[in-house]
Amino acid sequence: MSDPYADDTPTGKLSLGFVRQLWPHARPYRRGFAACLAILLVSFGLELLGPYLLGRAIDGPLLDTSAPTTERTTRLLWFAFGFLAATGAGAWLGYVYGRLTAWNGQRVVRDLRRRLFEHLLHLPLSFHERNPAGKLTTRVANDVENLNELIATGVLQSVFDLLKIVGVLVALCFLDLRLALFTLAATPVVVVLSIVFRKNAERAYRAVRGRLALQNAFTAELVGGVRTTRAGGREATIAARYAARNADTSAAWFDTVRHFSVFFSLVDFCLRATSVGLLWFGGSAVLDGTLQAGQFVQFWLYFNLLTGPIRELGEKYNVLQAAFASCERVFTLLAEPRFPADGRLPTPARGAARIEFADVSFAYGSGPAALQHVSFVAEPGATVAIVGPTGAGKSTLLSLVARLRDATSGAVRVDGVDVRELQLGALRRRIAYVAQDLFLFTGSVLDNLRLFDPRIDETRVWAALETVGAAEFVRRLDGGIHAAVQERGGTFSQGERQLLAFARALVAEPDVLVLDEATSSIDSATEARLQLALRAAMRGRTAIVVAHRLSTVKAADRILVLERGEVREAGTHAELSVARGIYHRMLERAGLPQ
Amino acid sequence: MSRLSAKLAALRRPWQLLARRRALVLTGMLFVPVHAAVTLWMPRLLGDTLDLLQQRRGDDVTTALAQACWLLLGLAVVEAGSRYVSRKTLIDASRHVERDLKDELVAHLQRLPIPWFDKVRTGDVTSRLTQDVELVRFVMGPLLLHGGSALCLLPAGIWLMAGMNVPVTLSASAAFAVLFVAMRILLPRLHRWSKAAQEAIGELSQQAQEDFAGIRVVQQFDRVERERAAMATRNRRYLLANLRLVRLRSLVNALSHSTSGLVLFGVLLVGGLEVVDGALSVGELFQFTGYLALMTFPLEILGWTLATMPRALAAAERIQELLATPTERATGANPPLQGHLQARGLTFTYPGASTPALRDVSFELAPGQKLGLVGPVGGGKSTLLALLLGFYEPPRGQLFVDGHDVADLAPAALRGLFAYAAQEPFLFSDTVAANVAFGRPDASAADLGAAVTAAALDQDLPQLSLGLDTIVGERGVTLSGGQKQRVSLARALFDARPALLLDDTLSAVDTLTERRILDGLAGARAGRTTILATHRLSVVADADLILVLDGGLVRERGTSRELLARGGTFAAAWRLQTESAALESGPEATP
Repeated sequence: MSDPYADDTPTGKLSLGFVRQLWPHARPYRRGFAACLAILLVSFGLELLGPYLLGRAIDGPLLDTSAPTTERTTRLLWFAFGFLAATGAGAWLGYVYGRLTAWNGQRVVRDLRRRLFEHLLHLPLSFHERNPAGKLTTRVANDVENLNELIATGVLQSVFDLLKIVGVLVALCFLDLRLALFTLAATPVVVVLSIVFRKNAERAYRAVRGRLALQNAFTAELVGGVRTTRAGGREATIAARYAARNADTSAAWFDTVRHFSVFFSLVDFCLRATSVGLLWFGGSAVLDGTLQAGQFVQFWLYFNLLTGPIRELGEKYNVLQAAFASCERVFTLLAEPRFPADGRLPTPARGAARIEFADVSFAYGSGPAALQHVSFVAEPGATVAIVGPTGAGKSTLLSLVARLRDATSGAVRVDGVDVRELQLGALRRRIAYVAQDLFLFTGSVLDNLRLFDPRIDETRVWAALETVGAAEFVRRLDGGIHAAVQERGGTFSQGERQLLAFARALVAEPDVLVLDEATSSIDSATEARLQLALRAAMRGRTAIVVAHRLSTVKAADRILVLERGEVREAGTHAELSVARGIYHRMLERAGLPQ
Repeated sequence: MSRLSAKLAALRRPWQLLARRRALVLTGMLFVPVHAAVTLWMPRLLGDTLDLLQQRRGDDVTTALAQACWLLLGLAVVEAGSRYVSRKTLIDASRHVERDLKDELVAHLQRLPIPWFDKVRTGDVTSRLTQDVELVRFVMGPLLLHGGSALCLLPAGIWLMAGMNVPVTLSASAAFAVLFVAMRILLPRLHRWSKAAQEAIGELSQQAQEDFAGIRVVQQFDRVERERAAMATRNRRYLLANLRLVRLRSLVNALSHSTSGLVLFGVLLVGGLEVVDGALSVGELFQFTGYLALMTFPLEILGWTLATMPRALAAAERIQELLATPTERATGANPPLQGHLQARGLTFTYPGASTPALRDVSFELAPGQKLGLVGPVGGGKSTLLALLLGFYEPPRGQLFVDGHDVADLAPAALRGLFAYAAQEPFLFSDTVAANVAFGRPDASAADLGAAVTAAALDQDLPQLSLGLDTIVGERGVTLSGGQKQRVSLARALFDARPALLLDDTLSAVDTLTERRILDGLAGARAGRTTILATHRLSVVADADLILVLDGGLVRERGTSRELLARGGTFAAAWRLQTESAALESGPEATP
């Protein structure tokens, strides 16, 4: 409730349960990952080889003045080109490794994204009503992407770094035990310092991100609200408020800069101090004759190999933490129960359908009942009009017909078959829904009418436009039916939007129309067309209409008066008028002719 | 060259802002060469020590080793300290510039004319304030730090190496030059491809966003399969863009990795031969590798800078352009206004439009009277309100307030007359109270309460966890359309101004609540000139004058009684809306 865009589960605990869930998705690419690991091992060997060759070169041809010059030169060339070969191979392997991890990791991401997106499309309406589109989009776009980090940077690179630290230490042990022990003693101190300080720095950085997000949101708001600000004469207030947020962010930045400056300086200093220790102990060993100069250089270079992983240790931890949090969020969504599975019964024969509500009740979650014991029948080709106050359950009733929701008790039947036993897709294709307001996708008018289905040809779309009387104004658009729809369809009037919604429904060639009639606006030209369109659309179809016009209820075969989820009255306009009940009073109070 | 100087001129304002932080910048710049000098000293010290180690053990040698170690430790302290000071001061200075520049930009935005906002997209303005300012900050901070460091290290390092051995220096420089050129070629492409990958994921996000927002349509029309397939295509396109990017990035990494290896190979080969010849000691060879290790980072920085500089300059130009945009007229008479409104043949065409939005509109409204504006979308209702608020300049001699030509009045004077609630209710991510008081510091709780009650917002407060202190808007609790509209209305009512402009403010409010609000307003409105633009005709039933605007023309005019008697479009729409209201009234509603 508090912040719909906030991360639901920002624990980011390194819980292995979610990694176990990730494994089946990575499994198809296990050979690739095994190859990555093999390459890592070989590159590690090559990285150790370089300093070894250098050290041997120093102790051999460079310092061994006893050998003849030609022999020294030849041996030097061997070492130099050996070093070149090791470097070249290492670089090439690095390149291959980079591509291979991406190749595998990105495929896992692609598969998972595909699965998550499809899963979300199948989730029930009630789920989507709870979760804003923006949040779900972030899950599909960003969180899934973070899982790549988990695989590439996280698992593989961490394994490599750990390997590097252990491997170098082992190599150091072979080289000189005292030096190795000294390094072993100094390294944990540096590692701990690095982690602690980076944690502080990261905390400061998180504060920056939070405040920056607030500030940027305010920026967008002050631009969007410029007319309100101007009309209210609050330009200075808004600028001052922006400045306050700006100052907050700046303060957080200064904090971050301080932490990071301290962090980098301190870690670098610690590493330097360790190397000074190495110089002292190593130098003494060389002077004692227990270590050769070249070996000392080799040792020195090995130690330098450690500085990178140690400096980045804290960073890895953060990346991993974020990736784990994303992992958790993604798999929590994947665990959401889908809409109850399809029934198995195939598509019934096409043609006007008989819709029956048999003692249907419905409640949202554990809330009060939105519909209670609703029963009615819409015979093939008949129109049922629903009237009643806001919140009576009218739209809930409409959503049950095409099984956007399932009744809590009772049954909705199409041609005598419970909708839960029919194939969902087939059922929904028989039923078209016309909302009060038209939801528009980015694309042309044509795309929006056939909902991007290329199998539906333009003539069918034009036919539908002609039927509802919208062809004329679509032709007048700049670009006609191919005109791009503007953001939120700002170019269309309300009446035009509903005409297009009718057309979209007719393009689908449904057997049943489920319709939420729009309130009329003062636009006489469209109003007349709307009434014609409604009649044309309902011809030969079973229709269930939330009615807003007297002409619609008068033409209906049956009117249901709904109140607080209950059917209070039912009958034709004539019957209900004679009965002088609720319906009659509703019209009478407004002074409408009966 | 003049092109470049023009571009650099765009950085003038940021430079001026940086100059305000003179003390920080100078301190930082002082420590940059200190840091460079210390780091360049270290390889020399190590090399000398290595040569020292080849001597036999003796007290003097041990002392020399100990001295070297202490000196190195001292240098490490200076290195860390100077780096800390230079980083902290220079980066802080750049953050100051960022902050000042943002404040300046926002203050300027607040004074730009409304027609300017019609032409730009919100996203473009915010990206000026975020990405562009960040790019400029990069020049003012990190570039000074790392660029300055590179400028010290590179020439000095090369000079030091050349002083030791020319062939080794040349061979190493050649390898570095190759790396540098390769980076110059590859980095812009890397940037381009990373942008392409960003766009690909942007498309993917947009589809996801639309499908989730329109999930009802997607499910009802059984489009799940189609959307899944479309997403698969976008997903694949993103995968390809990403793999292409990774290929290049891996190449760049491998290249920079192999270059340092290549340089070491050159040193080992050429330097090793010199050692065999006795022209170079092993310690000096070691010293060389130390220098070379120092060169790599500045070179990368240089490549990075050269790749970013054009973008930073372009960003600076865009910022400069924004700062140079002329502001709204602030001059004009500022008399106290009562709210007598008159239009005489008002005809107005939006800048850049071909057809007028208002044509020959005339009316007169005495102070305290109520004007209703009705008609289809695009009929001209909002345009008339915008002209009254001074958002656009109407032609002279056509629109008058209290006898003053609107063109002669200061926009601030007009806006001081009207309290206004916009069609698209606009909320800041702040508390309900702050949104209603809208930055008026003298807001009393009683005034606030009155406005909240008048807008029938009090009935919603129990649902909000913190009542008036609940944070709403994009980053807070999501309010329904009707609730947003009522917050917007409360804000307008809170400003006790002589006249009230409501632009379809109650369209999403249910009829019962609407009735309550309107009845309340009728009492509070006494003496307040009111203009209501609306689709709901019941709202203007008691208006002194109703204009039916369609295509910019006044199609019908009169009171509701007159218009109903005439039987035109107003009457027809009135009848339909009465039907609709009746069918929605329910058994309990009172007439």
